[in-house]
Amino acid sequence: MLELSSRSARILFAAAATALALFLFSPVYWLIASALKPNAELYRVIPTLWPQDPTLIHARTAFERGNLFLNLRNSLIVSGGAALLNTILAAYAGYSVAKFNYPGRRPVMILLLSAQVLPFGLLLITIYPVMVGTGLLDTHLGLILASIVFALPVSTYMLYSYFSQVPSEMIEAARADGAGELRIFHTIVLPVSIPAIVTVFLYGFMWSWNDLLYSMTLIVSEDKRTIGPGLLLNYLNETNADWGGAMAASIIASIPIVVAFAFLQRWFIQGVTAGAVK
Amino acid sequence: MSIGVSIGGGALQVGAAPDLRVSPLAKRAGLKAAERRIGWLFMAPALVAFAAVILFPFLSALGLAFTRYDLQTPEPVFIGLRNFSEIAASPEIRQSFVVTFVFVSLATLFTIILALAWAIILNQPFRGRALVRTATIIPWVLPSTVSAFIWAWIFNSRFGLINAAMLELGFISQPVAWLSTSAGAMTAVVISKVWISIPVTMTFFLAGLQSVDREQIDAARVDGAGDFAVLRDHVLPHLRPVLLVVIVLAVIGNLQQFDKIFALTGGGPVRATTVLSIEVYRRAFDSWDIGMASAVGLLWVATIIPPAYFYLRHLLKGV
Repeated sequence: MLELSSRSARILFAAAATALALFLFSPVYWLIASALKPNAELYRVIPTLWPQDPTLIHARTAFERGNLFLNLRNSLIVSGGAALLNTILAAYAGYSVAKFNYPGRRPVMILLLSAQVLPFGLLLITIYPVMVGTGLLDTHLGLILASIVFALPVSTYMLYSYFSQVPSEMIEAARADGAGELRIFHTIVLPVSIPAIVTVFLYGFMWSWNDLLYSMTLIVSEDKRTIGPGLLLNYLNETNADWGGAMAASIIASIPIVVAFAFLQRWFIQGVTAGAVK
Repeated sequence: MSIGVSIGGGALQVGAAPDLRVSPLAKRAGLKAAERRIGWLFMAPALVAFAAVILFPFLSALGLAFTRYDLQTPEPVFIGLRNFSEIAASPEIRQSFVVTFVFVSLATLFTIILALAWAIILNQPFRGRALVRTATIIPWVLPSTVSAFIWAWIFNSRFGLINAAMLELGFISQPVAWLSTSAGAMTAVVISKVWISIPVTMTFFLAGLQSVDREQIDAARVDGAGDFAVLRDHVLPHLRPVLLVVIVLAVIGNLQQFDKIFALTGGGPVRATTVLSIEVYRRAFDSWDIGMASAVGLLWVATIIPPAYFYLRHLLKGV
């Protein structure tokens, strides 16, 4: 869009592009390359840039060591549950602000959105004793409930802006036909909003899947642990030197979220940036 | 910019107007009351959840900040502002503020510059651009632990990529234990956070760039403006409103950052990367000093309020 006319600009442009691409992509390449190198090749002061003797041994040890399968399963339960709950709450709330005119909707929206700027760590201080008191500490349900903190404000805003674009005539027409409000929302508004719903589901899923703070504090038992703290406790301590295993396990932990994004990226980006670049 | 996905099936037919038996005015008043009620009903589930896991915890932390509540004190005891005077007198906590300031400034500055540059690059036509744009998102979606592993491995003192590159280039003669020195650990934490933040920041800039006025640039070209003049006089000024939002979002995000720093350095060596988020976590969940943790947390919130105010004001223009 900006045709470069001078040679110096073209050279500077190419240099900046190369440097930035290296910075952004070489760590990901290094993660994959390191996971494929046998130990003899991995632990060298001057490493090989390309795996000379690629092996899948680290992927195998990653599954043997710790509870990678169990961690993944737990993460799937917690993130799926958290994403579902978050999407349901945000959908009703977003619809309420978008299509109903009542005094109080603006203050409520401000309240919801302001939560996005509250530090999660501060909330955790008092969420923790509540979880202890209600017996929800160290349960997946407790972690799912607490995970609302991450995505609810932005999700509500994203769905609010999407529902605002649904033509009110559609809703009016259904009302005139005598359809109830819940039915209108479920059978008319939701079906035309699938892209936004999927985006918000994925957004909540990502927050929960990638979280470390809440999942390491609110889950104590080994058998309920999710993937983030699971990896950390298995690999990142002073005595551990299994970097190949850590890299392989990292790739396995990242695959679900990266694949989901590869497919849904376009919708997702539009949804997330919608609020800020109006 | 709004969500760009169009609403499918918009060709719904408008049904026949209902038979009005009540006077239109009374009907409208009834509708208004019904609308209010239904609006609140739809809002209710989110509000209940919000109150339970956000509002209530926040308000209780607010209250606990003025109490002594630790392992020796099983029930919170009101002590007024004593926690805060203790904070003021504590060089450790003062250092956390300094560390937070350094981390947030550096991470925000480099994120903005590099993301802007990357957005301008990705706005140019070249082969494979769609693929590069998609791949750019990867650092952002990786689990916190994974990005911490990647950077811990790259900065590894014995087999790390950084040491290898610097040895080869002759910048150092001995491998350096980066994560064991204050400056090295801070550098690693900032670099990894910038790496994670570039993708989403870049997206904001890219969205802004796509609405740059073509004709204005063509006209400037005809007037003989060079590449840098076009960039300086036409492209960058167009991005100013986006820039403000992006800076505010980056500052908020960096002020809240916990996971990546905790996984990479744990706040160390000693306290070199102990930002406020880690300070609060350690006080609450390592030493179980809930009163102090809440007090530090309250000051932490205070640092977030100014950027948050700008952000919310911008976001709520339309509601």
